[in-house]
Amino acid sequence: MAHNLEPDLDTLELCLREGIAGNEYADPREALGCSADTDDSEVARALVRLVAANDLEQIGTQSLHPDAARHPSVRPPTEVLADPSFLGRLSTSGDQGLSVERIDDVPTLLAVLRAGSRRQRRAALGRLRERLADRRLLHSDEVRNAIQTIAELRDVELGFELAELRAELPGATGRAARQEHEHWKRLAQQTHSEVRAFWDGQSNVDAIRALPGDQRALLLMRVSELPDAMVHHITAIIEGSDGCVPLESRIGLITSLRYARDPRLVPALVAVLEAERGELVASAARVLGGIDDPRVQPALAERFERSFVAEERIALAGALGMHGDCRGLGEVRSSLDEDQPQLPLQALQAMGSLGSPEHTDLVAKFLDHADASVAIQAARTCARIGDGRALDELTDRYNSTSVPALRAAIEDALSAIAARMELRGEEAVAIDWSEVGDKPAPQKGSRDSVPAIVLGWRDYFMARLWLLLGRVTWAIARFESSAARRDDWAVPLIGIGMAFARREQYALALPAFRRAIEVDRPRIERNPILVRAMAKSFLHRAEQVESEGRQDVARGLVGEVLTLDLRRAPGTVRFELQRKHDVLRREKAGDVDSAA
Amino acid sequence: MSTRLREAAVQHLRSLGTGTGEGAVRRLTMDVEAEGRVEMVTLSLRDGELQCVCSDARNDGPHVLAALRFVAGLEQREDSSPPGPIASAAGRAEQSPDQELASALDDLLTAITRVGVEKAQYAPSVDAALGRVVSTAPQPTPSGLGRFIGRLQHELRSAELHRVARLLQGASELADALRAEAPGLELQQRLSAWLGTRPGSLPQVELLYDRTMIEVGREWLSGTERASLERRYLVDVRSGRVYREDRPRNASASLGPCPRLVQVGLAEVETGPCPQRIRVLQYEVRPEVPAESWQQLQQVAVRSFAEVTEGYRQSVQASPSLAEPFALVAPYRIERNGVFKAFDAEGRQLVLNRSERRGAVLAFYALLAEGAEPAWLAGRLTDTGTTVCITPFAFGTRDLKYTRL
Repeated sequence: MAHNLEPDLDTLELCLREGIAGNEYADPREALGCSADTDDSEVARALVRLVAANDLEQIGTQSLHPDAARHPSVRPPTEVLADPSFLGRLSTSGDQGLSVERIDDVPTLLAVLRAGSRRQRRAALGRLRERLADRRLLHSDEVRNAIQTIAELRDVELGFELAELRAELPGATGRAARQEHEHWKRLAQQTHSEVRAFWDGQSNVDAIRALPGDQRALLLMRVSELPDAMVHHITAIIEGSDGCVPLESRIGLITSLRYARDPRLVPALVAVLEAERGELVASAARVLGGIDDPRVQPALAERFERSFVAEERIALAGALGMHGDCRGLGEVRSSLDEDQPQLPLQALQAMGSLGSPEHTDLVAKFLDHADASVAIQAARTCARIGDGRALDELTDRYNSTSVPALRAAIEDALSAIAARMELRGEEAVAIDWSEVGDKPAPQKGSRDSVPAIVLGWRDYFMARLWLLLGRVTWAIARFESSAARRDDWAVPLIGIGMAFARREQYALALPAFRRAIEVDRPRIERNPILVRAMAKSFLHRAEQVESEGRQDVARGLVGEVLTLDLRRAPGTVRFELQRKHDVLRREKAGDVDSAA
Repeated sequence: MSTRLREAAVQHLRSLGTGTGEGAVRRLTMDVEAEGRVEMVTLSLRDGELQCVCSDARNDGPHVLAALRFVAGLEQREDSSPPGPIASAAGRAEQSPDQELASALDDLLTAITRVGVEKAQYAPSVDAALGRVVSTAPQPTPSGLGRFIGRLQHELRSAELHRVARLLQGASELADALRAEAPGLELQQRLSAWLGTRPGSLPQVELLYDRTMIEVGREWLSGTERASLERRYLVDVRSGRVYREDRPRNASASLGPCPRLVQVGLAEVETGPCPQRIRVLQYEVRPEVPAESWQQLQQVAVRSFAEVTEGYRQSVQASPSLAEPFALVAPYRIERNGVFKAFDAEGRQLVLNRSERRGAVLAFYALLAEGAEPAWLAGRLTDTGTTVCITPFAFGTRDLKYTRL
């Protein structure tokens, strides 16, 4: 076949673009110098050869394409929440318009801290930190009130920022925070050397995986302070290129990073979105939702557009919502609209970032859900939406429920809604806790006789003495004797629980704590030391039985402790309990989709 | 078109295969000769409706009618058994696997050229031709061929005429190599790059000993399926050569995060498209890269953009379908007033590719706006037809800090 030596390239390109079959305007045969009866396959080869050869000759002939140097557009247009209120327009940074950085008024900052989105709350804490650094203000009532609020704040999502700010506070709060930081430094140093040993081939155990849950949560809470080598180790596990960590632990590590903000994690998490499926994608999306980085939104959006797994899509929708992209709102809303939603917990979590006051009724109907964890999440979502119309339903539910954790969540939700109303300029709602449920039962007169009380205290002090001398068995016997003398006295039972918890005998500590809770639950819930010991006992025992393969028992233990009011327990313990609860729930439902 | 003919064809299509329990037929593709032309006709059932697509873009033309008559059993046939396997355009009775693959590649090229690059992504004939390439190729699909299919599908979606032409030209060269009776060294290398080491041919590898490499970037690439290949880019800190380590999904490769320092005791490097594929056999890995290694990396980065462009052109000309060059460049100066402009000492410019890895490009711009000063930039090279540009993966600053994008 003789080809034309100087073919009309424009015609050839047109033919290749529009196809040689049915092209009424141009026939490449003539341009290629082929006869009219030349077979299509031969024409196709000749056509492609010429177009490609010309293209390859052109490469690099220009040093600059006119469009290539322009800045890429920041974001594709998406549906944006139209919330014209103060909080709706409040940005986290910037010198113009409404910005947290420009707020000087401490009560307003505290209200944002209670009612804002996660980003706004972080920014409010940052701004408070700046304000508190001004020593001249330390003695004003406003600042004293702020310090007290910060010391009492139990926001798990802001664990790292709170720890940083508390470390700068004077007094016991500051000392405790600084102590915790020192503990973290030792833990990080130790883990770093173990990570080094892992990559040197001296150990085949992943140091982070081997840590107890609360320690891991503490270590990862400050992931942005970890050295590069540690973060690279974590990213190796996230991407599955460590060679030894199983899929469940990989998912576990990603869920442990839920509130991390370190941009060094982004490439690995984006790789998970690109290449994996199911629970891995959902977990990675939840982490990415909280990280401010330009790489996040395009990756989430791209994955959302091609995902067809409901769990992935809901998690991706929620994460996109945290970046101001509400393309998944319709899907989350219709998921909650179903008579029996398949993923109510996940959809409610996503609604926390996507929802607006018009979704209040939709969310509030889940306050009566039979599953306490769903009802608790509904209360948290109501808090994030912050619509005053939910106040009545929350109050009703508060009065009717006997689950302490749900009551605690409703209390937080009511405070958040009140703060939001205050920021909107509406009449602030002062909630009179004496009018809503859980009224403290009138103190009954002690029915114990004086000798029983005296002997009870005597046995108790003897037990403490035996404990001091290391005679645990004798001490426990004395505690038991003390408890037997008085029916409604929780102190010796707490003593037994604490004695076993300190010795890490969690299986023995649990029955004592359970009995103490039966007798006097508020005493434990309101004491930070007791609630920490109790929660850790449940957590560590759950880890023990889980490692023995008894997932059902572990699930029961975690579910049991999460029905209590744990607001005074350390954030890392609460975070780990909730994380473990979610993981065990998914394992039960069998919807952990294996990574492809 | 006769409604009765359509109904008869639908009925026959529905009945095909259902009686034997081997699975129902949902789509038929056939080459039909009518009015002196051979066209590819695809008949498919979607939601109970019959869809007819012809490569001449006429859905009611003589080729479609002939195909419907054939399916409905209205044409003269010597026996009444269902039609056998569809013959390819270049169909022959007995073909070796290599020749079958070559025919399938030719059919793919013909199908795309007939339909046109703009419509090819929706054309059932192109889908069918791609399916035939995969089914006639060795199983599991070799990574080179898989990557070609992934790239072709991507370029068809974006209707990039020149890139599609380049990829098809590479496929055409492969078909020629497959048909060669006694392929020479060059053809054997081409076949190995596409199909892996073949029985009877010696593997063309170079052995490397005692090298220090840094992984500067990694990405998931599509093949016959999405995200079917993880590619890591390793740079030799002495020579500055870039290697790729390909890890197919569910297969193993060297361990470690990105970035990492790899002390390579022994490795095999394939002779093939740029960047050359490496298999790291003996190695030590460190997740923290010392500052002096970053300094070495900075020193071996390419400083002349003319050299980068020329290297890119040569790589793509040598392997139009498989070359995906990756470069480590050290700009002489950078302009950052709202846009990114990198210049070498001779004033030549290198620009960013904004069509891929959009998040990475945005992050790069954000870091530049914050005052980051890249001393080197690592990225995959592409072109916009005439201009060579770089898709950023990582950069390092003068204070020896690394940022993965």
